[in-house]
Amino acid sequence: MNKPTDASLLVPDADAAERALAQWQKEYRQQIGTDCAVFNRSGLPIKPLYTARDSGQDPTDDAGLPGQAPYTRGIYATMHRGRTWTQRQLTGLGTPAEYNARLLGVLAQGATAVSLIPCNSVFRGFDADESHIELLGTCGTVVNTAEHMDRALKGVDLATTSCALNDPSPFTLLAFMLAAARRRGTDWRQVSGTSNQSDYISHYAANHMFFRIALPGARRILGDHIAFCNEFVPKWNPMSVVGQHMQQAGANPAEAVAFALSTAIQNAQDCIARGIDPDQFLPRFTFFFDISVSFFEEVAKFRAARRIWARVTREILGAKDARSWRFKFHAQTSGVDLTRQQPLNNIARVTVQAMAGIFGGLQSLHTDAYDEALSCPSEFGARIAVATQNILREEAHLTDVIDPLGGSHYVEALTDQMQTEIERLMAIIERAGGMYRAVESGLVQRMIGESARKFQAQVDAGEQTVVGVNAYPLDEDRSARPVNARPDRAAMQAHVDSLRAFKAGRSAADVQRALDQLARACGDARDNIFGRVVEAAEAGVTHGEICATLRRELGFGHVQALV
Amino acid sequence: MTARAAQESAAAEPLDAGQPSSLPAGLLAGERRAVARAISRIEQGGREARALRAALQPHLGRAHVLGITGAPGAGKSTLVHALLGELLARGQRVGVVAVDPSSPLTGGAVLGDRVRMGEHGAHADVFIRSVASRGHLGGLSASTSGIVDIMDAAGFDTVIVETVGAGQSEVEIMRVADTRIVTCPPGLGDGVQAIKAGILEIADLLVVTKCDLPGAEAAERDLRDMLHLRAAGTEGEWQVPVLKVSVSEGQGVAELAQGLQAHAERAGRGRRLRAPQAPIASDEFGQRVARLAAADPLARLLGLSCSSGSEGMATVSLRVGGQHLNFNGSCHGGVIFALADTAFGLASNSRGVLAAGIDAHITYQHAVRVGEVLTASANEVSRSRRLATYRVDVTNDSGRSVSSFTGTVFLDAAAST
Amino acid sequence: MNVPTANNVIPKVLVTKIGFDGHDRGSRIVAAALRDAGMEVIYTPPWQEIATVVKLATEEDVDVIGISSLATDHLIVPKLMVALREAGLGDTAVIVGGIVPDDDEQMLLDAGVARVFHPGSPLSAITDYVREITPDLRARRAAT
Repeated sequence: MNKPTDASLLVPDADAAERALAQWQKEYRQQIGTDCAVFNRSGLPIKPLYTARDSGQDPTDDAGLPGQAPYTRGIYATMHRGRTWTQRQLTGLGTPAEYNARLLGVLAQGATAVSLIPCNSVFRGFDADESHIELLGTCGTVVNTAEHMDRALKGVDLATTSCALNDPSPFTLLAFMLAAARRRGTDWRQVSGTSNQSDYISHYAANHMFFRIALPGARRILGDHIAFCNEFVPKWNPMSVVGQHMQQAGANPAEAVAFALSTAIQNAQDCIARGIDPDQFLPRFTFFFDISVSFFEEVAKFRAARRIWARVTREILGAKDARSWRFKFHAQTSGVDLTRQQPLNNIARVTVQAMAGIFGGLQSLHTDAYDEALSCPSEFGARIAVATQNILREEAHLTDVIDPLGGSHYVEALTDQMQTEIERLMAIIERAGGMYRAVESGLVQRMIGESARKFQAQVDAGEQTVVGVNAYPLDEDRSARPVNARPDRAAMQAHVDSLRAFKAGRSAADVQRALDQLARACGDARDNIFGRVVEAAEAGVTHGEICATLRRELGFGHVQALV
Repeated sequence: MTARAAQESAAAEPLDAGQPSSLPAGLLAGERRAVARAISRIEQGGREARALRAALQPHLGRAHVLGITGAPGAGKSTLVHALLGELLARGQRVGVVAVDPSSPLTGGAVLGDRVRMGEHGAHADVFIRSVASRGHLGGLSASTSGIVDIMDAAGFDTVIVETVGAGQSEVEIMRVADTRIVTCPPGLGDGVQAIKAGILEIADLLVVTKCDLPGAEAAERDLRDMLHLRAAGTEGEWQVPVLKVSVSEGQGVAELAQGLQAHAERAGRGRRLRAPQAPIASDEFGQRVARLAAADPLARLLGLSCSSGSEGMATVSLRVGGQHLNFNGSCHGGVIFALADTAFGLASNSRGVLAAGIDAHITYQHAVRVGEVLTASANEVSRSRRLATYRVDVTNDSGRSVSSFTGTVFLDAAAST
Repeated sequence: MNVPTANNVIPKVLVTKIGFDGHDRGSRIVAAALRDAGMEVIYTPPWQEIATVVKLATEEDVDVIGISSLATDHLIVPKLMVALREAGLGDTAVIVGGIVPDDDEQMLLDAGVARVFHPGSPLSAITDYVREITPDLRARRAAT
């Protein structure tokens, strides 16, 4: 069976195994609240956790217990049985008003948190009045000001609802949200959520879309962002380390974890260098991963990641608080696995991916719509994606047992093997001088490119089956393809016009002052650039203006185009 | 007519009486599409290309042609961008020719991506053209010099030729320029050694790039030392300066532009038109090398591919596959040896005298992984009646040196290949 | 060595992205495939302005422009087609690869796009097509 690799963290003998189990039972009872008895359809009682004892095996063979380092079986004692995973569907389309309507609908359907994707024009750092109108609002919401954000989140109580903003450096969306919160009288200390995908390293290496400011400047702004949130928005997760971008770009699952963990180490070391105590910021580090359709590999990957992160935070980063050792992650089903051919098959794929993530112990989940490979998802597709999670949770009862695949010969062996492979890759990054240097030199990009090339070659050769593409093709029934929702052109034009009017009507002096302040902060290491971004947001400065100033001062973020 | 043009037209076929000898409309005015299409005609070669070149002759000599080369990773393209910015600020129109090697295995190429990664590519006064080597045996310098002539005639003030080629073609391309700049990055001692033999001999300015990094002083010293070893003054009184540039720190770019200006005035501008060019490698040697390469059973077995050959030189390539690995999962040293030895054998037998290897040494600098493409370039170092010595550099597809080989052959004048 | 087409014509292809999307995994794979098929590829990072693409295609005298579009950036391809014609590059073929909804494919073809390649197209389909159309494009360009 599995061989624990870190003796200091795992139980070595039978007595210790009994003590650990008792510890888990105690924590479980404390944290579960009201636990109902669970029975399956055949009338058999279902326990929250199954260990080697339950199947008549050696108790010391367990890969630990949930809620106990190294957390292979889960970071909390109760996991989904105590609190189900957050259903966090990425949403973004059109104008703030259109987004708001869709958001309230999704929340009514059972989603429990907000997620906002801005328009691609926003990702590239431009205001709506600087962009081709055909491209506005097609894949995300056009938010350029604090007003726009306020309108987008109308009817959402910022003190009680967790918000994930897809918000790369310089994190203007959070700045707009904080400005909106202040206007509503909501205390920033109540505001919770995540600067989703705030990881500039992954943007540089694999998601160029989000990369706006040259590497050294991006590094500085992230540090300022973490420090600011640490002090003023304590419930906010400023650091979302992204493995998803790498995997979408072609990295295999082990590489995605290795690169993400190496990035987290790099960012943590940067914070430590600024004098922030690891136990202050590590509990607010979160991760964001892809879930591919390679089911067991994904389960093992997440279990291994938890184990490695627990060790790294303690031994390398010096964190003493158990909350710092916990690997918290949001996951999204992988769009790269979805096909245009026979698109309804994607519903099956997404279900398999979601299950892998749930069994992998995620904290929140986004399920793709089946038409993701055809266009930006339709409302019809988005509803099925939400229903999929509801079915898994409430019909298949996947929340009833913690780490149900734990103890499987395959899953435990695979977890160990994934751990070894991930650590091997992390050692390569370390030898290259750490993750920042590794992406600066292009090493990571080359490794990703090689994996992408290999996978494509396998698909082309038919070694990797893709149903409907290189196997089981069918003459397509086009009626299965939904009609695209395009944003209402008239509404968008009105939105652009109102932005122009807003710019014309502001106090030009206030705006200039805020921008000058922002520019000066770039040259002063003691100032907090993100703090100045927030001030600018409150002064009515727009997203495009903030990005333009920072690009001018800190350098435009060019990516290496490697073939 | 210039000396070089006279040499070329002597070698060329006579023009038909009916051939148009006037230039395409818009070319002398620098009209973008006309310039581009004229360049394509030069690339295609043949009679039309020669007619075009002849027609260009009266319009040459105004542009200052810079050649820039240096080891990969030397920060050359960053330097070119910075120089472009400097020249544009001085109101110039600049043409850039970016030369890249074609894949020795497939003949295809990804071109110019490094040059186009900057703002200046979109500037109206900049014209960038990417050129692939296409495995030409010396033909590359002919078409590059033709492209430079077009840009000269089209009224560009400065033409920059940038190359990161391998082996002999780099030297040829540099001869196309009036002012030749060689770049060298600091650090680790191998920077200067990585510069191919023959390049330093023709450099007019040496530039230590990224001079804010440690090792810049050492690189500068190494370069000055090499200058002292150079053969004395074939270029008259021009003293080759060693300049230090750091684009990221904004240092040295203006000084570089001044240095180029100084060389242009002293000796540079139009120099390329006055000097006779080095002889282009004859087809006879290349053909022999190709014939020998095709007849080598081991080369076929291993998948070695000869991509060029000329007098005393050969280039052989290999894509490392699973069958080439050792028990550690890296490329078997014997395979790398076979690659280098094959280039050695072809180069030494290129003249038709049987050359038998009697001594060979190899060093391995860097592990090689599956999927990498290795290129071995063999060059003759010395030759006497009975013995000749060759150096073979083996590089991977990032341009990094992975192995060095030296070999000696015994020449059997009685036997021929 | 490879002789890519009859008469030693080596196709020159510009692979680029316009608009806002930055996902370039697909365009890089296509660029590599074209190179491995013996062609010359000018490859750019994403977010090129239409005017820059026209300038680049002019200067490099390319045969084919390959636009990769995974979000909705194909919606501004008609603007590119107009700009190319105005610059005298009507004989440069434009192909679009990526996620193009059915309704929009005809719109692109009507605007002058030569062909649309959907996800799952084998790379050989793209390289074969480029090889097939290049000699004709060259002949037409030589005649103007």
